Amino acid sequence: MDLAPLPGARREAWSRRVLALAAITAVGFVGLLGQLWYLQVLEGGRLQELSEKNRIRIRPVVAPRGILFDRNGLALVDNRPAFTLSLIPREMEDRDTVLARLSVLLKIPLAELEGSLDRVPVDPMRVVRVRRGLSLEEVTKVEERKLELPGVLVEVEPQRVYPTSTFAAHLLGFVREVSDEQMKQGRYRRGDMIGQSGLERVLDEYLRGRDGGERIEVDALGRPVQVMKREEPYPGAQVVTTVDRRIQEAAERAMAGRAGAVIVMDPRNGDVLAMTSSPAFPLDRFTGNLDREEWLRVVRDPMTPLMNRALQSQYAPGSLFKVIVTAAGLQEGSLTPMDRTYCNGEYRLGAWTFKDWRAGGHGHVDLRSALVQSCNIFFYQAGLKVGPEAIARYARSFGLGAPSGIDLGSEKPGLVPFVEWRRHRSGRGWQSGDTINMSIGQGPLLVTPLQVARMMAAVANGGILWKPRLVQRVELADGSLAYSASSKMTGRVDLSPVVWSFLRHALSGAVNEGGTGAAARIPGVEIAGKTGTAQSVAKSDSAKGQDHAWFASFAPAEDPEYVVVVLVERGGRGGQVAAPIARQIYQAIFLEKVAMVGLGEGS
Amino acid sequence: MLKLDRRLLQNVDWSLLAAAGFIILLSLLSLWSLTPGRGGSALAWRQLSWVGVGLLALLVVVSVDYRNLVRAAPAFYVLGVGLLLVVSALGQTVSGARRWIHAGPITFQPSELFKLIFILTLTWALTSRREQPLSRGTLIGTFALVGVPFFLIVRQPDLGTAVVLIPVLAAVLIGVGVKLRVLGALTLAGLAALPLAWLVLKPYQRDRLLVYVDPFRDPLGTAYNVIQAKIAIGSGQLLGKGVSGATQSRLAFLPERHTDFIFAVFAEMWGFIGALVLIGAYLLLVLRGFEIAASTREPRGRILALGVTAVFAAQTLINLGMVTGLLPVVGIPLPLMSYGGSSMVVSLMALGLLLSIRMRQFN
Repeated sequence: MDLAPLPGARREAWSRRVLALAAITAVGFVGLLGQLWYLQVLEGGRLQELSEKNRIRIRPVVAPRGILFDRNGLALVDNRPAFTLSLIPREMEDRDTVLARLSVLLKIPLAELEGSLDRVPVDPMRVVRVRRGLSLEEVTKVEERKLELPGVLVEVEPQRVYPTSTFAAHLLGFVREVSDEQMKQGRYRRGDMIGQSGLERVLDEYLRGRDGGERIEVDALGRPVQVMKREEPYPGAQVVTTVDRRIQEAAERAMAGRAGAVIVMDPRNGDVLAMTSSPAFPLDRFTGNLDREEWLRVVRDPMTPLMNRALQSQYAPGSLFKVIVTAAGLQEGSLTPMDRTYCNGEYRLGAWTFKDWRAGGHGHVDLRSALVQSCNIFFYQAGLKVGPEAIARYARSFGLGAPSGIDLGSEKPGLVPFVEWRRHRSGRGWQSGDTINMSIGQGPLLVTPLQVARMMAAVANGGILWKPRLVQRVELADGSLAYSASSKMTGRVDLSPVVWSFLRHALSGAVNEGGTGAAARIPGVEIAGKTGTAQSVAKSDSAKGQDHAWFASFAPAEDPEYVVVVLVERGGRGGQVAAPIARQIYQAIFLEKVAMVGLGEGS
Repeated sequence: MLKLDRRLLQNVDWSLLAAAGFIILLSLLSLWSLTPGRGGSALAWRQLSWVGVGLLALLVVVSVDYRNLVRAAPAFYVLGVGLLLVVSALGQTVSGARRWIHAGPITFQPSELFKLIFILTLTWALTSRREQPLSRGTLIGTFALVGVPFFLIVRQPDLGTAVVLIPVLAAVLIGVGVKLRVLGALTLAGLAALPLAWLVLKPYQRDRLLVYVDPFRDPLGTAYNVIQAKIAIGSGQLLGKGVSGATQSRLAFLPERHTDFIFAVFAEMWGFIGALVLIGAYLLLVLRGFEIAASTREPRGRILALGVTAVFAAQTLINLGMVTGLLPVVGIPLPLMSYGGSSMVVSLMALGLLLSIRMRQFN
């Protein structure tokens, strides 16, 4: 059913309309040509320039982490520019080839590179950080082959730098990229660097600041040309700690090669001037790019370098505890300075014989000389006179058996046994033998070095128990104060002034009158201190018999400014091992005084 | 089937063919120069094989009398709508839209083919009843007929194809002499329906439209394509940068550079002069199409020719308008130029229709 051709008039009308449509189309084309003329000829030069430097990137600008200062304004930790290897997914035309080349070049496992790309959401404009802390050598390698590695980029970002590898490692703590586990908390963004231990962890919110970002145009070789938009990072807050870097360094030097802890505290306000735990871990190798082998080595080390022995390790106080027994006895009236006994090196109680640490004994001793010489026989009898309940009560009032409250986290509380506890624990009642053990700081008694420091500070300042203070203040980048802490008293030991005076003089005698602490003596400064030798719980035959060495002290004895507590794990006798370490630290503290005395004697 | 009458061969529109052949040549050249040696040449070879398939399809179309194709339009229509339904049910999703069907090793985009079916259906609907002028009933029937697949295409969503079909419809209606008053009313109705369309659009499509209103609304997100394309085209300046100097295109700044944005690649490489030549070829092709439509006396042939020409014209203008930043980005390939099998084959089939109508003009 073919249609017949239409008559002429209609055909013409049709042709006219088609012609009109053709004209409309032609106008469209002319318009296009106009736009092309505008773009290519009129605007061509400008757009040509744009195309030459045309690459747009979004890159995070990391906020510099806040700096931790010591009490004198010296930096404990600082930032330095470090190289970060990043990838720009959009510019990686052939992703597999580029990753493979990079993997070979820098000896990074391919899976690691792919993993870091897969973990981030697909946002082709965003830069993905794959490795931090590149060495200069590695940076050179990448830069040399830049043309073969499209989409690979080395950026400079601030990274933590430490005075030495292990300086104040436990106190400061390490900083590392947020882990998968921590990502689940929802507080962080992928790639954030956060404090993982120590003050870096406790103060992370302050230290981290807020990252900025920028949109930059880079040229064909990846050189930044222009910052299109920039949101400034807000730098992390500055933290002023109570630590004295000089003393901290001296303490670490003195402990070199030993396992144990040192605490230096100001008895007048509870400021922690130094806190060291050894062996320490290398902060610099944990920061930035994790050295996996090193990490495993540290974690598996039987010496547990990650543990902060100053507050996470508990030891028997040994003869340090005689201070408590003396204080309890004198205040309760069950002991007097006139009490005397004859020490022949043995004490019999029923079927048991308790020995003194010195074979043959100390001969005639009174309370003061018993403390100076650390005579066990005298204190066996004294302990029985005072009684376990009073001893335990005084021990608690000196802050033992409870956390000190320091703001560093994961602190151990120690342990002060008392009568009920013993009965409950082992079924048999508290017996005299237990009291005898307790009176020389053995048995189930446990203390941390930090608790001992607090206790010694109370002896030095006449009974005030401070909450140990580590952070003085936190200042935001704009100079405003975000946090400040004044000294806080958390307890008080009520003893009569004569008792305090007796204790201070006796402890001074232990150092200066040929007592057990004589090895700590320094001419020109009067140091007061008590040694302790704690029987260690033998975990293996090889460790058996090696005692922990304690020395707890303060100086100057008349007007105490410093408390120094030294613990050496399996070091041997406190007087022989721990006291000389304390002496070294005091020498550093009283450098000027010691030097002047030396000059005076020499002339 | 491919046996052609000698008389038909005398009436082959060589200038139309030459224009199309020239454009295809430039397309292959552009694809090859995108990344010569590696992926680029593979693209060019694959495109060349599609040209081969397309030419075969063209011959088939030419050898059949187009009047028979119009008569078969209802069958095509059912087939086309069926395919669109299939694709919405189990098609492959690419960047948020379902447009492709997998048939063995071939992925195929039914909405491309549907452009031809749309024109055939339109022609069939407007000529099946002999009446002059067209009755309101015929018009309403026509709208109902093309409305269903149009809705399916928008739903896919293939905004590009939908946007092409509207001017094609308008052009054909103007051609057959629908009164301007009626057209005006239809336009108003369409405008009134726009808010409705906004609701149907996917978020990325809304973004594209908003970016058109304000290109710097999000210079790193949606507007990125537009800005990069503008930079590519403009940096070509008068004479172009040549193949090796076309950093915009070759450094992968330009997204979709081998498909929808291929004109930007070409303009960067060959400058305003090159673009002038290419646009000249398109203009020649389109004007030849209009000429065929104007000079054909047989009603089906001329409506069909007008529709096919309108598809070419609309697609070319919208694509170039979007690449040069005159129109919003809607994802339309540049006929005969963009990489893509469905588009190439369908374009060549459309060309075949024009040739076929021309050859049978003087029967």
